[in-house]
Formats: sequence, C-alpha cells, structure tokens
Amino acid sequence: MFKKLALTALLLAVSGAAAANLTVFAAASLTDAFTELGRAFDAQTGNKTAFSFAGSQVLRTQLENGAKADVYASANDAQYAPLVTRGLVAAGQPFARNKLTLIAPKNNPALKTLNDLTRPGLKLVIADRAVPVGDYTRRMLAAIDKAGTYGKDFSARTLKNVVSEETNVRQVALKVQLGEADAAVVYATDVTPALKPLVRVVPLPSRFNQNASYEVGAMKGSASPEAAQAFVAYAQSATGQQILRKWGFSGPQ
Amino acid sequence: MGLFRPAVRSADPVQASRIRVNSRPKARLPALPTALSALMATFLLLPTLVLLLRGLTPQFWPALQNTAVQDALRVSLVTTGVTLLLTVLFITPVAYLLARYRFPGRTLLDTLLDLPIVLPPVVAGLGLLLTFGRGGLLGPGLELAGVSLAFSPAAVVMAQLFTSAPFYLRTAKAGFLAVNKGAEEAARTDGADGRAVFRHITLPLAFPFLLEGLVLTWARALGEFGATVLFAGSLQGRTRTITLSIYSALESDLAPALVLSAVMVLLSFAVLLVVRMLAAAREPSA
Repeated sequence: MFKKLALTALLLAVSGAAAANLTVFAAASLTDAFTELGRAFDAQTGNKTAFSFAGSQVLRTQLENGAKADVYASANDAQYAPLVTRGLVAAGQPFARNKLTLIAPKNNPALKTLNDLTRPGLKLVIADRAVPVGDYTRRMLAAIDKAGTYGKDFSARTLKNVVSEETNVRQVALKVQLGEADAAVVYATDVTPALKPLVRVVPLPSRFNQNASYEVGAMKGSASPEAAQAFVAYAQSATGQQILRKWGFSGPQ
Repeated sequence: MGLFRPAVRSADPVQASRIRVNSRPKARLPALPTALSALMATFLLLPTLVLLLRGLTPQFWPALQNTAVQDALRVSLVTTGVTLLLTVLFITPVAYLLARYRFPGRTLLDTLLDLPIVLPPVVAGLGLLLTFGRGGLLGPGLELAGVSLAFSPAAVVMAQLFTSAPFYLRTAKAGFLAVNKGAEEAARTDGADGRAVFRHITLPLAFPFLLEGLVLTWARALGEFGATVLFAGSLQGRTRTITLSIYSALESDLAPALVLSAVMVLLSFAVLLVVRMLAAAREPSA
C-alpha cells in the first residue's frame, strides 16, 4: 500500500501539473457529448475529468453557493453571465449551438403538426422557465405569436396544455420516452441514438426556432487552472468540435 | 429513521433511561462520549438552525404571500389530506387483520408491506410509473376506462400513499396488539357484537397509536419528493408540492425556497412534539 502510494506520488510529481482531477459542471443537454469529449480529453492529457450534469440554472445556484468546480458550461448566457459578474468564472467562450425540436412518443398520434400543440387535452411537457431550454421554448412560442400564422394567442393556448415543467431537458425528454406525455419541446441534440427509436420528431419551422448558444469557461477558484483552461480550449478545438458535431451540436457563430 | 421505530418499542428506552438516571443520580458524564455526542448533535442541529435563521426573516410574511408559495402549500395540504383519508380507510383494516388474525402468508405479507419504508422513493416512483403510467402494465386498461393519472394530483396522492402509508400500518398494528384483550372479552360477555366491540373498545384504546401513525404518515407524505417528481411531474398549482417547489425555486429565486424550508422545519418540530405527547399519553404512569 505504502509503496503504491509512493509510486503514485512519484508519477504525479513527474507528470507535474498535467495530471489533474477536473470537475466540470455542464448543462444537462451536454451529457452525451461531454462524456465522450471528457474521455478523449483524459486520454490525451492524462487528467481525470468528472462531470456534474444538471439544468444550467441548478449548476449556477450551486456555484453561487460555493460548489467547487473547475469548468462551467451553460446552455445560455442568462445562467452564465451572473457568475462572471460575481467574479466566479472567466468570460464565457461560445463553443456550441443547438436548436429546439418537438418530440412525441412513437406510437402516439396526438401531435402531428405544430398546430396540434394547442389542441385541448394534449399533454405537453416543457422545461421550467429558469432552465435555458424552458426559456428558449417560451421565446419560440412568442415568435409564433408574433408571426400570427397560428393565431395571436398560440402561446397562451399551448401553455394551457403544459402538464409538467421539469428542471432539466433530459427529464423533459424522459416523459415522452416513457409515453407519459403526448409532446415535449427539447433540443435537437436530445434525440440521441438511444432515444431515436422511441420518439417521433415533429418538424419545427426554422423561422420560429431559437438559436441556443452554449458558453464554457474556467472557474476562478479552480485548483488546477491550467488543466481547466486546457479543457475549455479542448471543447473549442477541432477534435472537441468534431465530437460535439457527432452529437448534433453545431459550431459557435 | 430513529423517530420511526414501532410505537410499542418506543416506550421502552424512555423507561429504561429513567431507571438508569434514578440509580445514578449525579454520575459525571464521561468525557469522550460527551465530546462525540456534542459534535454529532451540532452536526444534526446546525443545518436546521441555519434554515430557520435564513427563513424566518422580516421577509418571511411577504414571501409567504408569493403565489408560488401559496400554491405549493395548497397542493401539499390537499394531496396529503386525501392521502391521510385513504390511509385510514384502507390501512386500518389491514393493520387490524395483521394484528389479530393468523392466516397463511401473514408473516410474509407483514414483512413485504413494510417494503416501501426502506425502498428509495425514486425507485418507488419508477415502480408506480411502470405500473400505472400510460405505457405501464395497467396503463392501457386505465386509458380504456378513461382514467388518466399522468401528471394529475391523483398521481401525487398515489406517490404519497405508496411511500407513507406503511408508517401508519406499523403503528396501527402495534396499537391493535397493545389493546387489552380482557376489556374486549368483557364487552363481548356483556352481549356486544364484534362491530360494537371494535367501535367502543378496540378503536378508542388503540386511538393514540393510530393518531401517532397518522402524524408520521403525514410527515412522510409532506416530505415526499423522489416518487412524486418522477410519477406526477411538477406543475405549479397542480402537482408541485412544497418539496418540489423548494427544488424548482432554488433555481431562480431563493426566497420562496427559504420560506418553504422554514415552514417545513417548523412543521417537523410540531410533528415531533405531537408524537412525543402522544407517546407520553400512552404511558400508564404518566
């Protein structure tokens, strides 16, 4: 045991600052992409990266209350900027974009077109207002109202059908996956290979769709600032972007 | 968990400690156990104290008027109320049968009905979902019958009933076991029929136990989170109970979360107090 410890210490000393234990707080929608990205990052750098995935607003609250993390990745600026203001995290680097999509259970015909969202009795699940995807969803509905094609009260009638407001996008998707909900609004990237066989994607006209922009940055209090910075850079690197694209994200603007 | 011991046993430590204290009235407290106990007591009590300090500020009343807070209190009161009604109605007979009759499979049933107490709530929620959900075992049948449980307050009640009713079952059973059979015999000899004996003898004698069980069940139902969030979803004014509301309020505005947490702490104190008083009332010497 002692020998092993000494050996580990020696190895750590030799590899210097390069081998660090990183904790990354990331938006729930990044679950699959970042898990793979983290594995690739660890393989290349020798770091050990651990993730905490949750709604960005949950992570933000945790960080504001003293949670220790090295990197923070948020699904919107609203849950990122306040941490910059408080001096907790470096300025956000845009590294990925996402789109909204409508999903329905495979063999449930309740939702065929956008207009069905307003049909009384439809069970719609969305994310809470504070969750980035919940905010984007409400912006999308407002855009439809504004266009007028579906009626000026489209969002009011749609929000009447909301049966649950979840705290992260994966929980929203889960309700459709389990067949409990008739429809849900999630990110395009949430229709993962695992989910695809179970759900139907209902197209959302691109003029109403929202541009979800993700930001990442190193936490100011990180014990391994270099490794944290390396992770932020890796997410923006060609390899990192390739992994993100594989999971359906597009590059930053 | 210590609070949720079967009621019959809960009387014993009290008596035991009384005897010990009496036999060594002025024994000095041993140093190491005292230090460790102080440490542990601080650990257990400090977070509660902080919650009260943060929650019970001058902003308490205005924050209590917040619609999100009011909705959460209403949803919780209504759903736990229905849960208690259903518990009394359906669990009292089970407790009575288990306490008074011998039948094949009794021991097994007795053990298995305690299962929800030890089952993680989120597992209970998944079980409910896979059984009563639209895609679950009974889902298609329920759908045909026009029953839609998904995302309804009924689903909240089911989650609460599943996770909390066993607490009542345990105490009620202990209550029926503790009733003096002699009193029942005497009433029967005097010509009372089974129903009359139950109503006028058994039930009044077991009542403090039943009440304690109900209080414990209510506390558990009020604190239910895992099963509810999975099985019933979370919508303000409909299925978002106090605990769910605390969780979602944490994400934007801490004030409602602090107020509701303080309310929960106060309610928990009240529950403890009531349980203590009921236990004391049961003591023959008291």
